Amino acid sequence: MIAIFGLVIGVAAGLILEPEVPDSMEPYLPIAVVAALDATFGALRAYLDDIFDDKVFVVSFLSNVIIAALIVYLGDKLGVGAQLSTGVVVVLGIRIFSNVAAIRRHIFHA
Amino acid sequence: MIARPPFDKRSLADRRTTSSWELLEQVSATSLDEDYGRVAAGRAAQGQGSRRRPKVLAAVALVALGVLIAVTALQTRSASPVDAQERSSLVRQIHERESDVSRLADRSDRLQTEVGTLQSSAEQLGGKGEELLDTLNQSRLLTGAVAATGPGLRIVADDEAGGDAEAGAGGTILDVDLQVMVNGLWQAGAEAISINGNRLGSLSAIRTAGRAITVNYNSLIPPYVVTAIGDPDTLEAAFAETPGGQAWFDLETNYGIQFDMDTVDELTLPAVPSERLDTQYAEQLGELP
Repeated sequence: MIAIFGLVIGVAAGLILEPEVPDSMEPYLPIAVVAALDATFGALRAYLDDIFDDKVFVVSFLSNVIIAALIVYLGDKLGVGAQLSTGVVVVLGIRIFSNVAAIRRHIFHA
Repeated sequence: MIARPPFDKRSLADRRTTSSWELLEQVSATSLDEDYGRVAAGRAAQGQGSRRRPKVLAAVALVALGVLIAVTALQTRSASPVDAQERSSLVRQIHERESDVSRLADRSDRLQTEVGTLQSSAEQLGGKGEELLDTLNQSRLLTGAVAATGPGLRIVADDEAGGDAEAGAGGTILDVDLQVMVNGLWQAGAEAISINGNRLGSLSAIRTAGRAITVNYNSLIPPYVVTAIGDPDTLEAAFAETPGGQAWFDLETNYGIQFDMDTVDELTLPAVPSERLDTQYAEQLGELP
């Protein structure tokens, strides 16, 4: 419950406050969102697997976001930002899909 | 929990395919953070309950996720009007360029028509230029500005043989005699005349200067050779019937002046000296044809 509540509050806060994002950070927002989604779906799966842990979730969340942003930042500096972004999105996408598949199996027992 | 798919891709000959498959397998196999399992196992070992509900920490992380999603969505949406604007401006530019292109195509058509018109008028002018050149050459021939060649009559005249030139009368040829002869030749149809190599132009006079006859300021020394271009069949006979010809037959019979006529197939007459072609007062009236 508290998790869904937090998510709703976060979206509402973001929409209402419309925080200014520095231009230098802007390119990393989408990749950070994908990384955060990955961590969140992983957490949901862990929750359904009865092995959820607050600390693990927060650590994996932060490290996912930071590492994804860092990789893209490094790629930008090396001139392969677009390719690295694609790579990161592909890997995270696969993870999200397989996690969602596991979640689906849990919910529908199929 | 981590169930490795029972794929054995080793049998595939292509190792690259195998390794990329393995990579994908690994990615999907480790999609759940191993830490969850490890921490849960640790907890189970310590005899704590396995199930843990999300607490404030997780809620904070989810708030952060919500903010991230919202901000990114807003960012993308605020960027899209710019894209749309750019696109509409590009569309407008395309339309402008298209109208430019059609305008330029029109202009090119117009200019092509103009070029065609100018070309045809240039051809006409070229024809006219040739006509003018013909006229000019004809005029130059008529005024003696160029040397002339053609069949005609050669007359050799000399003072009375053995006569005393000093006497001034009788057997001496005078300028008047030559004038009469030239007049007769013109009358008989001559088209170009020269006397001792001095072509007669429209400004040439035959006159006595001192004791000699001069043409174009050149003194002539007898015998006088008069060449006239004209119809070789009729010129001699026609000249003989003119008053000029009659006068010379008289001179021949009565004064012993030598006078011979020959029809020649080809005569060459020089041009009039250029200083006898200058006009100072006469000006052209009206345009050239």
